[in-house]
Amino acid sequence: MLPATAASLAVLAALLAWPVPALLARARWPRRDPLVALVCWQAIGLAGGLSMIGALLVHGLAPWGHSLPEAVWSVVTAHPAGEPVRGDHWVALTLAGVLAFELLGVLVLSWVRTARTRRRHRELLELVVRPSAELPDTRLLEHPAPVAFCIPGARPLLVLSSGMVAELDGDQLAAVVAHERAHLRERHHLLLLPFVAWEAALPVLPAAGRAHAAVRELVEMRADDVALHSLSGTAPRRTLARAIVAAAGGAGGAGVPTGALAISGSVAGARVVRLLEPPDPLPAAARWTALAAAGLLLLVPTALLLLPAF
Amino acid sequence: MASLGDLERAVMERLWAADGPVTATTLRDGLADRGVALTTVHTVLTRLEQKGFVVHDAARPRGFSARSTRADHAAELMHEVLGQAGDRQAVLARFVGSVGADEARMLRELLAGSPDAATTR
Repeated sequence: MLPATAASLAVLAALLAWPVPALLARARWPRRDPLVALVCWQAIGLAGGLSMIGALLVHGLAPWGHSLPEAVWSVVTAHPAGEPVRGDHWVALTLAGVLAFELLGVLVLSWVRTARTRRRHRELLELVVRPSAELPDTRLLEHPAPVAFCIPGARPLLVLSSGMVAELDGDQLAAVVAHERAHLRERHHLLLLPFVAWEAALPVLPAAGRAHAAVRELVEMRADDVALHSLSGTAPRRTLARAIVAAAGGAGGAGVPTGALAISGSVAGARVVRLLEPPDPLPAAARWTALAAAGLLLLVPTALLLLPAF
Repeated sequence: MASLGDLERAVMERLWAADGPVTATTLRDGLADRGVALTTVHTVLTRLEQKGFVVHDAARPRGFSARSTRADHAAELMHEVLGQAGDRQAVLARFVGSVGADEARMLRELLAGSPDAATTR
């Protein structure tokens, strides 16, 4: 018989693998408070992995004890199994091991590969960019297309193209730089990393791709929000929106490779709409409800795994 | 005192501009206004070789040259750094990812159509 703990974890894993991410990806409120939504996505990712592996582990170890600590203790102290160990127990244990190995392995692999590519990009860039005289910690790249980007990491690099500088006025440039600095300061690349990795690890799970796209859009909106706070001028929202439109308008030409529209095109559009017609901020009560839900999401599988069987 | 990054850039500029292989002594003389020692030039060249940007020949004294032309370097940079993959894999964060011509036009119309007053709050 399946222990109640394993069954509850399996139900939670199933919910987090499909309906919950689908609902959150479709919800309208995340763009009203990207930061809270990002916290929720991290909780969903962590709790999903935890409950998936936990359910398999608890079921596989059931013959040795009805809760994980009890079973692990029996195995460690070499107590014989209390009940006969059947084939499905071994299958569950093997699956738990494979899944844990794959999720963590892909995460590490993705981290290493990304770090290597970043270093390569930085080396290629450092030969041709020069420090900007006006904007501190910003490098200029001689290129007609209006592009701006940052390479995160221990030695971050913030690059503006000469085309971008020519296209924008001082306030707009400040907005672009503030947006990129927000990415760097809040370590958005770390928030994205698990979703990039798990989309690669679980291509069969549509929720993984959906979650990745949602988190990608939310970090951009969050960086916009942070940038707005640091901007002076009469209409910072319009300044930032203008900068986005200018960057979007010229990015297609002059040697910059263009990709599929669906991947990032709609993000720019959603950002501009959000800047020009700002949605009302989330009420404090809703904010705290969402944060509490995220906390609960992490607490439930942890408690199920660690507490004695009920 | 110039940073190593500045020196690497200055050395590459000279190698790209040169017609053939350049010796370290020539490079040092070219950088005389920076007051760079020959050992520093060698350090910079070694770093550039490790990164795969510079090669040296077997002549004595050694002649150094850039592995690819300036134009090829720029093309590789644009392809690798600003290609879709880097953005997708979160290697870097682009201010605005690549946008199709249709969507760019739509965004311009959106901006033009919105009244200034509505955006000041």
